Amino acid sequence: MISVTDLVVSYPRASRNAVDGVSFDAIGGKLTALAGPNGSGKSSIVRAMIRRADITSGSITIGGTDVRILPPGELARRVAVVPQREDAAFPIQVRDYVALGRYPHVGLWRAPGKVDEDAVADALAQAGVADLSARDTDALSGGEWQRVRIARALAQKAPTLVLDEPTTFLDVAHEMAIFELLSSLARSGLAVLLVSHQLNLVARFADTIVLLTEGKIATSGPPADVMRADRLEAIYGWPVVITRDPAIGAPALVPLRRPRNL
Amino acid sequence: MSRFLGWYWFLLIAALFIVAAIGVSNGAVSVSLGDVLAALHGSGDPTSVAIVRDLRFPRVVLGALVGAGLGASGAALQGSLRNPLAEPYLLGVSGGAAVGAVIVFALGFSSDGVVTIAAFVGAVGAVIVALAVSRAGARGSRVDLRTLLVAGVIVGAFANATIMVALASAEPNTVRGALFWMMGSAADATWRRVAWLALSIMVAGGALIYWAREIDVLALGEETAASLGIDAERSGRRIFLIAALLAAATVAAAGLIGFVGLVVPHMARRLGLRAHRPLVVGAALIGATLVIAADLAARTVAAPTELPLGAITALLGVPFFLVQLRRTT
Amino acid sequence: MAVRRLRRVLVAGIPLGGVSVLYFARKPAFFALAVALVGCSKSAAPPAAATDDFGDSVRVGRPPSRIVSLSPATTEILFTLGAGPRLVGRTKYDLWPDSAKLIPSVGDGIRPNVEAVLAVHPDLVVIYASQDNRPAATRLRAAGVNTLAVRGDHIAEFRRVVRLLGAIIGDSVRAKSLADSVYHTLDSVRTMTSRLSKPTVFWHVWDAPVITIGGGSFMNDLVDIAGGRNVYADIKGPSGNVSLEDVSRRDPDVILAGPVGKRQIESDPRWQIVRAVREGRIFVVDTGVVARPSVRLGEAAVLIANLLHPGMLR
Repeated sequence: MISVTDLVVSYPRASRNAVDGVSFDAIGGKLTALAGPNGSGKSSIVRAMIRRADITSGSITIGGTDVRILPPGELARRVAVVPQREDAAFPIQVRDYVALGRYPHVGLWRAPGKVDEDAVADALAQAGVADLSARDTDALSGGEWQRVRIARALAQKAPTLVLDEPTTFLDVAHEMAIFELLSSLARSGLAVLLVSHQLNLVARFADTIVLLTEGKIATSGPPADVMRADRLEAIYGWPVVITRDPAIGAPALVPLRRPRNL
Repeated sequence: MSRFLGWYWFLLIAALFIVAAIGVSNGAVSVSLGDVLAALHGSGDPTSVAIVRDLRFPRVVLGALVGAGLGASGAALQGSLRNPLAEPYLLGVSGGAAVGAVIVFALGFSSDGVVTIAAFVGAVGAVIVALAVSRAGARGSRVDLRTLLVAGVIVGAFANATIMVALASAEPNTVRGALFWMMGSAADATWRRVAWLALSIMVAGGALIYWAREIDVLALGEETAASLGIDAERSGRRIFLIAALLAAATVAAAGLIGFVGLVVPHMARRLGLRAHRPLVVGAALIGATLVIAADLAARTVAAPTELPLGAITALLGVPFFLVQLRRTT
Repeated sequence: MAVRRLRRVLVAGIPLGGVSVLYFARKPAFFALAVALVGCSKSAAPPAAATDDFGDSVRVGRPPSRIVSLSPATTEILFTLGAGPRLVGRTKYDLWPDSAKLIPSVGDGIRPNVEAVLAVHPDLVVIYASQDNRPAATRLRAAGVNTLAVRGDHIAEFRRVVRLLGAIIGDSVRAKSLADSVYHTLDSVRTMTSRLSKPTVFWHVWDAPVITIGGGSFMNDLVDIAGGRNVYADIKGPSGNVSLEDVSRRDPDVILAGPVGKRQIESDPRWQIVRAVREGRIFVVDTGVVARPSVRLGEAAVLIANLLHPGMLR
């Protein structure tokens, strides 16, 4: 489980804090979503989690331990992160790529054992890419590549999974597939933290939405509470209307065409 | 994409030995292979023995070590920098080494050991300066690997300027000697030089093989590496330094030998090597074979004149870039 | 009058003497003739114009009194022709004869500093006729200074260069006699060694890489004259890089090297594959004497001949 407490992240030479006192929890068994406009600090929180951004104040704890004192290998065993972008410079086989997810467990020298092989097989199956295992990473479509990346994270067998914008550039079929996967992973016990600006999909699948604006939490809670037209309009600076989608009745955001007060 | 089969290793090692055998049995004086073997044991015509033992054998071994060092260094750098065009002379290694050597030439020393030491010191100095420059330009505590590359370019430019100034006011034979050194040659191979280079390669190469799996992870990207528990900057810098030291050792021993570190890792990948532990070893084997062959060509193509080794390896660049061009368009 | 003539003779004779002491000492009549010729030199009328080695026309009028010489070869020649007192500039490499060191240096001879040359107000500049120097020659002429470009890389060209310089400074007679005496020495050395067996010679010029002289070098011709055979005469140009193995294969009888070169050869165990090194037949040549095909050619030939055929010359 991830616990963020009064987190402040600031980049040098920036005019304001990227993250300005954010607190929330992502617990096992639930799909938590971080949403908000561009620049609201969502990705910075993920970066701070894997120590690619310095924490100015506050803390992030994973499984009860502050990320700053966790040895890097232990951190990777507790939380698996799928970053926003990843371009492998040199193609490798999907199976070998997913197997790199076992690095926090095998380290520099240990030969992979049964446990590791099983973890890789499980990850491939869970992500639905077992039939792609012999392909090279440069021979995959966008959707396949995303799922393979998730498989790599799953191979880490960490109790927490964090994904930063995993469905950019994906068409509706692939997007839905990913969200279904994440939802099922959460139900199987993982704590899944998802950063996405796809509010509608998030509203359908997430258990909790944490809505950020300018580094602070604007609102958080179940989708029904968060998806309010007046709040969202203020945050996004665009007139919207909240409806109920006809299929399952989840709240859906519909942006209006012309701004009312211009 | 091809798969690297187990018996390919035998192929690579056999190729290396065959080329080495051809290298040792060829030269201005014709010595048959049988005589070569006898000479290695110390029997036979004393001049032949001396030629084989003191001239050709150390030369072939030096060439092999240089090629191995450059291949391994190139493979490690391309993986950790995630750039297929990375090569061992980044971070100003070549410029720094050349400055050290040229200054020694210009001052009038041409003794074997002094030039080698000066070149190594120059190379290491250049790397340190590049690291310092990149740290100065960095944001906060993090040193971007791209900043490192730019720092290397700056150091290289400064080195070039220094070399030009030194050579402009030097005597013709000094210039000739300096230029020939910079073009790379295995001709000055002595067993002492071979020993130092072998030691450096064992240490630095061993370190690269030790950390090879980290390169696999680094090759995925800095964010992904971080999510797998590797501090990409620290790890990247470490690999960088080791690879640069490896390159510096080869430059000190044989001057600037271009394109080997760039092309050989690609050849190794073509054969199907992916993970960096076998890739570094494979690149070392291929590099060794290539440089011995190039040295052979340098000695025989325009006999009795000896061409500089770097000139032959530079020719490698042409087909390589043509292939790269084809691939990207 | 006689004192002045004697002084001129001495000034001309000191360098000339180095070359021809062997010769003149045995032929006092020629010595007297040379003195007389020196005395008559001033009355010879010089030609109006000459063509230099860039193909440019150089005016020949009043003998120049402020000469800048931009190559060691021409400096040597000018001193030997008695024009030493008229030199106001030389390159930093011009160190022979000793009195040349008293002339101020204007820097390099290849791509010279034109401003430094002009600063000494010359009325004649003698420059080495290489492509690199074309721009400098043009700029000097544009500044109104009479500029003569000469290039004598081979023994046969020495006469032409000396003649050209002699014409320019207004002493063609002395020039002719200088050329004659040098060539005479060379011819006598050639004759004296022609009957002797010719050892094969390897001339070590540089160590890393190993550089030697080729068939296109005047030094190759010197070896020839001195009764030897350059093992690398088949290299077409003036010099070339060679491998140690090849030197061993060609098996020279004798190695010629400068003092530094000899030390390098002796301290490098790899050179032991060459028979001449094992037998200790490495002879030191004074690099200053053999460095250029100029006034000291005869002396150089004698030097080398004495190394190759000790005790055979007289």
